[in-house]
Amino acid sequence: MICVDTDHGVGWVRLMEKEKLESLLIDYIDGNLSDADRAIAEKELTHNAEAVKLHAQLKEVMSLMDNAHSIEPSLSLRTNFEKSLREEITSKKKGFSTGTSLTTDKQIFFRPWVLRVAAGIILVIVGIVIGSKISEKRQHDQELASIKKELEDNKRMMIAMLENQQSASQRVMGATVAYDMKSADDEIVNALVKAMNEDPNTNVRLTALEALGKFYQQGHVRSKLIKSLSTQKDPVVQIALIRVLVQMKEKEVVNQLEKITRDGTVIKAVKDEAHSGILKLS
Amino acid sequence: MNITRLTTDEQIMEAVKNGELQQASFLFDRYHKRIFNFLRQLSNDTMLAEDLTQNVFLRLIKYRNSYREGNRFQSWIYQMARNVFADHYQSNKNKAGNYVDVEKMSDHISDTEENPDEREQLLHRSLAKLSEEQRELLVLTRFQHLKYEEVATIMNTTVANIKVKVHRAIGKLREYYFELEKTN
Repeated sequence: MICVDTDHGVGWVRLMEKEKLESLLIDYIDGNLSDADRAIAEKELTHNAEAVKLHAQLKEVMSLMDNAHSIEPSLSLRTNFEKSLREEITSKKKGFSTGTSLTTDKQIFFRPWVLRVAAGIILVIVGIVIGSKISEKRQHDQELASIKKELEDNKRMMIAMLENQQSASQRVMGATVAYDMKSADDEIVNALVKAMNEDPNTNVRLTALEALGKFYQQGHVRSKLIKSLSTQKDPVVQIALIRVLVQMKEKEVVNQLEKITRDGTVIKAVKDEAHSGILKLS
Repeated sequence: MNITRLTTDEQIMEAVKNGELQQASFLFDRYHKRIFNFLRQLSNDTMLAEDLTQNVFLRLIKYRNSYREGNRFQSWIYQMARNVFADHYQSNKNKAGNYVDVEKMSDHISDTEENPDEREQLLHRSLAKLSEEQRELLVLTRFQHLKYEEVATIMNTTVANIKVKVHRAIGKLREYYFELEKTN
């Protein structure tokens, strides 16, 4: 907005926007101006009739606002407040808030009926969660039992195959099934050891040895393998057994290997394997 | 806690928050007249202003735990008063299009206020013509004498923004005031 100073009679146009001038004068009346801005305001008030008029008008309304009368509320305001305060103090002693005359009581959660509803909802949720957990556990148990039964069936089948005196290939297959198992219990280990030491067929003995080598970390398997080294007479199995024991880094067998190297009944290939084993384990 | 004239509002409010509810009466003594006049100037209805002031102090007691240590009490109670005022008109907004019925308000001022000064009556009639926001800004800064910084806190905005708005509101009020003066 552009201000025209009509009082000067020359109609010269002021470039200062009216809003800016008004704001300057408000700060001038409030005493909020820096020295430089106060000088600008005073210059306007000296040369600009519009500024003088604005200043007078602003001063009047601002003064009226600043000095407006305030009135006293009725005594009932105090009486009602004190009554409410007493009620609140009493209810606090009883351990809960009354909610008095407030229309929007944010402490609504502490009202007894709300508590009862909340407790009901919580009980239902807890019931659902527990029921779901029980159901999950039951399902889990059933699955576990099914897996156990399947494993037991496999074990029985595997042992039956290993003990099948009619078919060497069945016994090899039995040892292969054992090899594919993740772990072996005593019953399986004993069946495999028996096959490794006593089976008339070399392939069965080798496959059984291979399966046992896989389970060597189980303590009782190690001892069976070490013991087998002193009784094993089949050169092919002996070589394979030496390799497995060396792979296991089983230093206990060094003495037995030395004994093999001195044994006149053992063929050269086995002795060479024993020498090689001694070198690797020493 | 022993309350003296030197005890700050914040210290008293902390005591109230910590269970000394009786101390709230000291805050009532210090603020009820100001809050009542603030709400009266906003609503221009003395009876309503009393009811709303009552609600402000009830909220102070009920929601004492929402007062945060270190915050200025005055800002907090004015904020609460604004909320009470807004809630009241929100719940009655179907009855009236705007917060305040300007015509009724102007009549009310000239008929019932205990104010013999014609110029002040004219001021209130001019004030009634402002927007609700402008009226509230002037009530807070000029009638209640709150600093721009505090009003900025209450209204959650910047001091510069408040200053610009207050200056515009004063300018508008000046226009209405001298327009009404001419017609009288």
